[in-house]
Amino acid sequence: MNRAFRLSLGHAVFIVAFVGLWEFMSARGILDPTFFGRPSGIVAYLWRGFVADKNLWKDLFYTILAATIAFWGGSVAAVFVGLLFAMLPRLHKACEPYLTLLNSMPRIALAPLFLLWFGLGIGSKIAVAVSLTFFIVLSSTVAGIKGVNSDHLILSRALGATPSQIFFKVTLPSAVPIIFSGLRLGLVYSLLGVVGAELLAAEHGLGQVLAYLQSTFDMDGVMALLLLLVLLGLSITVVMNWIEHRLLVWQ
Amino acid sequence: MLQQLMSANSAIELRDLTMRFGSQTTSSVLAVDRVSFSLAPREFVSLIGPSGCGKTTILNLLTGLLTEPPEGDVRVLGKKPTAGNPDIAYMLARDSLLPWRTTLENAAYGMEVRGLPRSERETRARELLKQVGLGDFADKYPKALSHGMRQRCALARTFALDSPVLLMDEPFGALDAQTKLTLEDVLMKLWSEHQKTVVFVTHDLAEAIALSDRVIVMSARPGRIVADVPIDLPRPRSVRKLQADHRFHDLYAQLWGLLEQGVAGSE
Ligand SMILES: Nc1ncnc2c1ncn2[C@@H]1O[C@H](COP(=O)(O)OP(=O)(O)O)[C@@H](O)[C@H]1O
Ligand SMILES: [Mg+2]
Repeated sequence: MNRAFRLSLGHAVFIVAFVGLWEFMSARGILDPTFFGRPSGIVAYLWRGFVADKNLWKDLFYTILAATIAFWGGSVAAVFVGLLFAMLPRLHKACEPYLTLLNSMPRIALAPLFLLWFGLGIGSKIAVAVSLTFFIVLSSTVAGIKGVNSDHLILSRALGATPSQIFFKVTLPSAVPIIFSGLRLGLVYSLLGVVGAELLAAEHGLGQVLAYLQSTFDMDGVMALLLLLVLLGLSITVVMNWIEHRLLVWQ
Repeated sequence: MLQQLMSANSAIELRDLTMRFGSQTTSSVLAVDRVSFSLAPREFVSLIGPSGCGKTTILNLLTGLLTEPPEGDVRVLGKKPTAGNPDIAYMLARDSLLPWRTTLENAAYGMEVRGLPRSERETRARELLKQVGLGDFADKYPKALSHGMRQRCALARTFALDSPVLLMDEPFGALDAQTKLTLEDVLMKLWSEHQKTVVFVTHDLAEAIALSDRVIVMSARPGRIVADVPIDLPRPRSVRKLQADHRFHDLYAQLWGLLEQGVAGSE
């Protein structure tokens, strides 16, 4: 048995024991299921949601759709603005105080405003998520471009590189790892923004389901939803790791 | 007028070169003070002097990289310095390999910037990598290379440009003694095969003597020329074998005295 296998076996045993203990204590009345739910109830809820009634698919779809749109929109805009700032340092300097101001606002607090402007559909949660993702990706883009090695610039200038050659052959590739770590964080935050906005009010979405379940004291459902969100966040990390590995072989 | 003073057949010519940084400000620094020297084509000349005496500044002036203008006159193959002059290949102290490029792509970087067609760059880069002993590492990224190998790749990039003039700023300064001797021999081999004019900056006296036709000794800041000493050791040289040659040690003693004098003189 190799180490990795033993380790995953250990985790599996722990999780089974944990869930078993939880179920056992709920059955015996030591843990109150009205506050903590119970594993069998959670499984039953998920079964109904995805297999019997199939009502959760739609909410899952809306949440993922909104997070994806917000991530792409927010990061493309942020990378673009970051590059623009790199080319026009004076524009960057002029905009900086306003960006700092906006960035220091707790973005979830904007959700009521966005709900008013964009309604209960997908627009308002995308707006909240973009407001988070954009700033994260922007600041990592700016940091990545500033972090370029000055030796590389001197060498390129001595070789007679044009500004656009320097940008595409040196500055941009050297910024990619930092931009990428911003994108990874940006994706996590777009999910956060979407779910946060849905909790407040929305037609569809996991956050909205969660708020409803909480208001009706359906703890099995609440726990099931939290589990779903964890799995969603986890798959984001796995996918981003995979892309990073392919993209940055040289690191 | 000044141009007539310049000898027509020198590859590099500096006349009364003076460089003052921040001359518009109150805290100006006189980095280089009335330096004149010239190099014949295919000559290998070392500039040696204490740190901060203006050696890098002189190379930067030759490449036209500095924004503030110097006084005096500088010519490289008869032309005034301009950034990106294709006659010059510049090699910095640190290898400055681009970490996202393979050894081959790094060796080809200079040619790529200068617009050589892809097939030609690749052929030349492979050829040079073979000459510096990196033939088997063409597809490796810099993180997989040792310090010495990285500097070999930088040598390949520099020589692949095929510029007649090479400016090298302490290229082996960060290497351990053994690796340094090996790379000095690699450089000697490349230089004799490629026939370049070289200005080689170093603070290592033994290195300067082993490689050069002449060694120019500079004083501490402001940098002035203290001595210009011909090195009449026979070529081809093996840097390793020279370590046991008594004429090498005589020159070392002589130049060491001059260097000491240069440091003391400005204090
Ligand atoms: N761009 C610059 N602006 C101001 N001072 C400079 C600049 N470059 C070099 N100097 C100063 O000029 C002097 C010579 O520097 P340098 O040519 O780098 O010396 P060396 O290469 O011989 O060690 C130093 O005192 C340094 O601080
Ligand atoms: Mg220097």
